[in-house]
Amino acid sequence: MTTHPPETPAAPAPAPAPALDLDKLLTARLQAARARPYLATALFALHPVESRRVPTMAVDRHWRCYVSPAFVAATPEEELAGVWVHEVSHLLRDHHGRGDRVARERGLHGAGERLRMNIAADCEINDDIYGDGLARPGDVVLPSTLGLTAGELMEDYLRQFTLGPYTRGMVWLDCGSGADGLERDWDLGPDGAHGLSEQERDAVRFRVAQGIRARPGDAPQGWRRWAEEAFHPPQPWRELLGAALRTAVSGSGAGDDYTYGRPARRSAGVPGAVLPSLRRTPPRVSVVIDTSGSVSDAELGSALLEVTAISRAVGGRRDMVSVVSCDAAAGRVHRLCRGEGIPLTGGGGTDLRSGFAKALGSRPRPDVVVVLTDGQTPWPDSRPSCRTVVGLFPRVGASWDEDDPDYVPDTPPDWARVVTIGAEPGAR
Amino acid sequence: MSSHALATPPSRLDVAGDLLTLLRDTSTEPRPDVQLEALTLAVAADLPVLLWGEPGIGKTAALNQLAASLDLPLTTVIASVHEPSDFSGLPVVGDDPAEQGVPMAPPDWAVRLVRAGRGLLFLDELSTAPPAVQAALLRLVLERRIGALRLPPGVRIVAAANPRASAADGWELSPPLANRFVHLSWTHDPEVVVRGLGGTWPRATLPRLDPDRLTAAVEFARRAVCAFLTARPPLVHRLPSSETRRGGPWPSPRSWDMTLTLIAFATAAGSDRDVLSLLVRGTVGDGPGLELLASLDRLDLPDPELLLADPAGAELPQRGDLRQAVLDAVVAAVRARPERSRWDAAWALLAHAADTGAPDLVVVPATTLATLRREEWDVPPTIERLTSAVALSRRADHAAARVTAGR
Repeated sequence: MTTHPPETPAAPAPAPAPALDLDKLLTARLQAARARPYLATALFALHPVESRRVPTMAVDRHWRCYVSPAFVAATPEEELAGVWVHEVSHLLRDHHGRGDRVARERGLHGAGERLRMNIAADCEINDDIYGDGLARPGDVVLPSTLGLTAGELMEDYLRQFTLGPYTRGMVWLDCGSGADGLERDWDLGPDGAHGLSEQERDAVRFRVAQGIRARPGDAPQGWRRWAEEAFHPPQPWRELLGAALRTAVSGSGAGDDYTYGRPARRSAGVPGAVLPSLRRTPPRVSVVIDTSGSVSDAELGSALLEVTAISRAVGGRRDMVSVVSCDAAAGRVHRLCRGEGIPLTGGGGTDLRSGFAKALGSRPRPDVVVVLTDGQTPWPDSRPSCRTVVGLFPRVGASWDEDDPDYVPDTPPDWARVVTIGAEPGAR
Repeated sequence: MSSHALATPPSRLDVAGDLLTLLRDTSTEPRPDVQLEALTLAVAADLPVLLWGEPGIGKTAALNQLAASLDLPLTTVIASVHEPSDFSGLPVVGDDPAEQGVPMAPPDWAVRLVRAGRGLLFLDELSTAPPAVQAALLRLVLERRIGALRLPPGVRIVAAANPRASAADGWELSPPLANRFVHLSWTHDPEVVVRGLGGTWPRATLPRLDPDRLTAAVEFARRAVCAFLTARPPLVHRLPSSETRRGGPWPSPRSWDMTLTLIAFATAAGSDRDVLSLLVRGTVGDGPGLELLASLDRLDLPDPELLLADPAGAELPQRGDLRQAVLDAVVAAVRARPERSRWDAAWALLAHAADTGAPDLVVVPATTLATLRREEWDVPPTIERLTSAVALSRRADHAAARVTAGR
């Protein structure tokens, strides 16, 4: 049953007591929209639906908000405003879609797992939406309630707790299918009235994100991060590095391609014509590793493993991957097939120019140079003679030189394809 | 089936054949399919389409359905098992090459396609072919040439590729190439697959262009794209800057032209916004595409001037956010040209909005409208009807004050 009288200006039919106090509910929405102007579009796009089966307030993925009349009667307006913002946050942050994805990826099924998703999603929301004009209800789930640190994503929280004594008080918690993706029996479904289609939902989320990006000063850090990533989730660096490397090695001169160097097997059928034949030239990859003190061994190890795995996947052999360790001066060129112990020597400052020279000067010449560095280095002035992929370990505020406080390290040149290597981003 | 009910026992293969017949006995049910509808429109518009999808998720089945609905014979060419000369033409040496030249002979399927004059050519597994084959194929897709042959206009081409994350010996589109395609990512719906394996496959009803709407569709598409690009000139051309967006759709004059075509086709076919959303985002990218769609939504909203002309008979959108956008636009229109009659009409419209929908939406526009008052203007009597909204606003103020006091 809907609570807005859609087309009838007359008063709605009298409902059995306790009737939903729509004025109170809308007052709370107005206060929420005033306290969080950047969420106003989303708040007004939510369609309230009276429901006696929801415990408090709940949303579905079609942007309907189911409201219990008893809950509205018992809750002061300022707390209701917080609940509005809480529920709309579930929808904006796509918790139902992310819940479904996590359920598929990790094989989490059943009501208990969905309750955990709801709790994890609440933790993600509640740590930064209250305060500054919005009252925090006394009984909301916070990361600290579960002994977890604030500021993480639902997917991360989900790994960190199980249902148990800590969560016993939360079994009544139910933010609806919009929060965890599990259909409820009160849901009106995709065909019910006042639902938003997928495109309309995206449009609302996009407008909210745009509003936050346009005036970033108004929104807290958590929302700004959401707005940045809502429609361009960062990709895991492994995939990006793989794509960059594959593109580099699939260029001419490496990999499977046609060559006129030998006649094709089809030549017999076309006498007199010279046809190209398929030849494999496995890509030679040279990895220049920045071994200055600023890059940790663990980071280097995982990146090097990744490069080796990818170059093997594109048809390279172990002996086709060579490694040059480089700080202020370049070390020897090591073949990966020598195996176990490649000495990563160094530790001082970096000058990658010598690393480049060493890698390019080795025989046979590499098809691709992969540089793993934190970027605190001078770069070669001219484009090297083969494709270059830079795996960059991001450093925030680490570029400070005591002798030269104005020193700003060069950014990687534009002839290189740059992939930022770091922690796996969350899927917001 | 019944012939072997006689004395001789049926041969083993006959029994196997019976079992296969039973297995193939499936039915279909109508089911809206947004992906297929988008693909149909793009193919009808004769734009190069690139389907991104994992192997084995029913791209070929979808193409079969598309071919049937467009009444075109389907030719499937698996790119990865061909050589570049199959697409650029095999050199055939004649009697006197120096005099007559060496013609590049096209493969048989191309000859048949050209002879038929029409057909749907599906180039599968584009991304697993060696680079030289890909280069030849792209010439085929973009220039419609195979050796010495030119494909007639009745032939439509669709290509398919695996996403770069799963392509083993991968390949990636360079930005200029990516810009020439409509990118559609092909996904499967587990529910549909389960139901299909249970015996009922979906049958999509495909869009039909309405001959009476063609002129209006072109006009609408031109207005939509031009109005949007006038407001957002930086989006006319923007090369993808980050590694993430390389090889995907991005905005340029070429892709905006494709978008315009697609909007016209979707409008003429009466497709809904979900279909258009897939097409537009697949042509100019997510960000610019979503912005264009949002601007289309605003084009759909009633014109503030018309609302001010007839506030009593105004039809306001039911969705709260759109309704508020309309009311804001009306107040902005009054601010742009403040006149007594327009101010009164705006109050009447707000009162009408308060009567027919949620009162909290009216509060902000009403507050703004009140600030536009000139000294000599009297408060109109219609403002009485806004008391519920005013009361709501006051209660919200009190609630906010309680939050501040409680800190």
